Amino acid sequence: MTTAELEGPRVGTDHAGQRAGIVDYLTTTDHKRIGLLYLFTGIGFFLISGMLAMFMRAELTVPGLQFMDEATYNELFTMHGTGMIFFFASPVFFGFANYFLPLQIGAPDVAFPRLNALTYWLALSGGLIAFSGFFVGGAASFGWTGYAPLSSEIFSPNTGTNLWIVGLIFSGSSGILGAVNFVATVFTMRAPGMTMFRLPIFTWNVLVTALLVMLTFPVLTSALVMLFLDRTLGAHFFDPAAGGSAILWQHLFWFFGHPEVYILILPFFGIVTEIIPVFSRKPIFGYRAFVFATLLIGVLSYSVWAHHMFATGVVDNLFFSITSLTIAIPTGVKFFNWIATMFRGRIRFDTPMLFCIGFLFMFLIGGLTGPFLASPAIDYAVTDTYFVVAHFHYVLLGGSVFAAFAGFYFWLPKMTGRRMDERLGRIHFWTMLIGMNVTFFPMHILGLDGMPRRVADYPASAGWTGLNEIITAGSVVVAFSVLVFGWNLVWNIFLGHGAPAGDDPWEGYSLEWATTSPPPHHNFTHLPPIRSERPVFDARMAARAAAREAAEVARGPASG
Amino acid sequence: MPRFPRRRGARALLLLAGTLTATALGGCTLAPATVQGDRVQSLYNLFLISAAVVFVIVAGLIGWNIIRYRDRGESELPAQTHTNLALELTWWALPTILVIILFTVSAIVLNTNDAQVSNPDLQVKVEGSQWQWTFTYPASGVVVAGTPTSIPELVLPVDEVIDFELVSHDVIHSFFIPHFLVKRDVIPGVDNHLQLTINEEGTYAGQCAEFCGLYHDRMLFTVRAVSQADFTAWLAAQPRSTP
Repeated sequence: MTTAELEGPRVGTDHAGQRAGIVDYLTTTDHKRIGLLYLFTGIGFFLISGMLAMFMRAELTVPGLQFMDEATYNELFTMHGTGMIFFFASPVFFGFANYFLPLQIGAPDVAFPRLNALTYWLALSGGLIAFSGFFVGGAASFGWTGYAPLSSEIFSPNTGTNLWIVGLIFSGSSGILGAVNFVATVFTMRAPGMTMFRLPIFTWNVLVTALLVMLTFPVLTSALVMLFLDRTLGAHFFDPAAGGSAILWQHLFWFFGHPEVYILILPFFGIVTEIIPVFSRKPIFGYRAFVFATLLIGVLSYSVWAHHMFATGVVDNLFFSITSLTIAIPTGVKFFNWIATMFRGRIRFDTPMLFCIGFLFMFLIGGLTGPFLASPAIDYAVTDTYFVVAHFHYVLLGGSVFAAFAGFYFWLPKMTGRRMDERLGRIHFWTMLIGMNVTFFPMHILGLDGMPRRVADYPASAGWTGLNEIITAGSVVVAFSVLVFGWNLVWNIFLGHGAPAGDDPWEGYSLEWATTSPPPHHNFTHLPPIRSERPVFDARMAARAAAREAAEVARGPASG
Repeated sequence: MPRFPRRRGARALLLLAGTLTATALGGCTLAPATVQGDRVQSLYNLFLISAAVVFVIVAGLIGWNIIRYRDRGESELPAQTHTNLALELTWWALPTILVIILFTVSAIVLNTNDAQVSNPDLQVKVEGSQWQWTFTYPASGVVVAGTPTSIPELVLPVDEVIDFELVSHDVIHSFFIPHFLVKRDVIPGVDNHLQLTINEEGTYAGQCAEFCGLYHDRMLFTVRAVSQADFTAWLAAQPRSTP
């Protein structure tokens, strides 16, 4: 076997070079293996949900129903959203956090390793249950928001809906347990010297995200249980005809759902904030202000949920307008922190940094369309149209997914000991950047033109055909870019053709770069002293100073 | 001054940024056909200009930094600056000021548009049901009901305050006419009203905007806005449902 003869470790091997088998993964409580399980589960659901989106784009290219009926289309957009949010973005967050949070704080594992394993298996089961609806006569088909009373047993009597609810209850429970684990790990497992204000920003953001999860996932999970009771036992929580309330579901859902948006972006802010300083060769600018901004976003995210409900006409629109606009301030501040970090730096454009720069531009666009939706009078016009679809895809694809890819290119060498191919990485970046803009930018205009979201078909007379053709073409480019990433991953990581990464391929700052790639069981044989938020940088500087000094001593007798 | 030959990648990024901004400015809302819609249009323009200015500043700063401070193979580390209080206070203050301005104007427009009169010139009852609309003119007893195969036409007069009573007996729908730059949800168990004054005669497409189940995409309707005289004549010509 030629691949086996290549030097250096391969994915799934621990430090001793022992290859881990399937049983090792099925029974593991090691945070790194669980992290990898989460990450590859996330990638799997990304591919499935992405494929559903491609089917939708095929159908929407021209007016008329060509490939499927409405029933199928409605299942596709429901499971696309559900899959991307609950079973791609969340697992990728949990994967990166699982793998790197203990490493970054110099801990051997998370606080509760067995709970951690349970958390993963609950998450995977949840995804499989929710998607299994496709095999029992149709998946859920009311949008990922599951609005009552459409989701009741009268209007959605299929089994797929029950599976969707149960899958999300699994996923919600998994999230709560995982969040408890992360919070406990940060508060109890930090290495000596790792004070709170020396935590890497990624760890800070994971901590704030975990707190958000702990406070919002129980609300979602409870609401889902109520919905399940409505459907199976006739509880009438959300049935207006029996004294229940359709609006109550929206309040509960969005009380979870808007903090969820920050749950889906804060960890990825964290990844970007790890990468930009390393590739600018400077520390993060305004560390404390950055942490404060993250905390402020976390707190404010609880007060903005009803901006999703402006058009219902039954919430205090002005209150939710000012809170929603306010959250733009700490988010905007983060941009200045990132820019000031690059200012007077020495920026290297390796693939992780390229994706961070792409993130900055794309998230900027997504961020700037946010205030439109926070202004109720404008929101009345554009909510539930493609303008909203464009907005949240710039935030979640241009923001979270670009940052997640940055994280993969940045950390895969650490997790596997192999480097990804830079040339393929650049092709992936440019095709994804171009494809995503061709796909999602025209959606703003479609939305302003009045095309509602979640429609399988549109009238030819509406004049939306041209833009829809462009959008479908763009989505093909995005799909191609993902294939390039997949090939890069398979060839260089799974088949082991990538160059050996070494311990510290990027001259990193935080503690994960102070151990081997991949790290040994329990992570560290020794730790550098932790005297700032960049212990590995400090150690590198100290080593260079010592080397210079030694060279001078050696030169000393000759010159003197 | 040393020369900095631009890298292709960075230039392409800037070009992309410029193109996107231009497209954003070009793609504006539909020409509004209501008094309220005109105000929304002005508010939208204010937001669009603010967003464009912020985009040009922030994208320009990002673009300039990645070009100006790209690695050119120096061996020295850059200065490890990590904080500057005055700068940080400035960039907390600037977005705060912008948010206050945007909110104030938003609040004025919202309060004006959402203000409802107790004696509208015309009342129309809008009933959404899976998957069509029924429009009733209670004062005259005229009913226009759509069927899955025929799209109903909602005829309305211009320059009158019209009150829409929004009623649903099944799931949530949303009454949406893109040219009026407004939608309002039609929710079972909720007594929702929307008041508008149309100021442009014409025919406008309307559609349910809240996903309401299987044939949501077919829940279309048409609005025909006519002069008050034409409206009176049209109403008189309609068959009445006996109460």
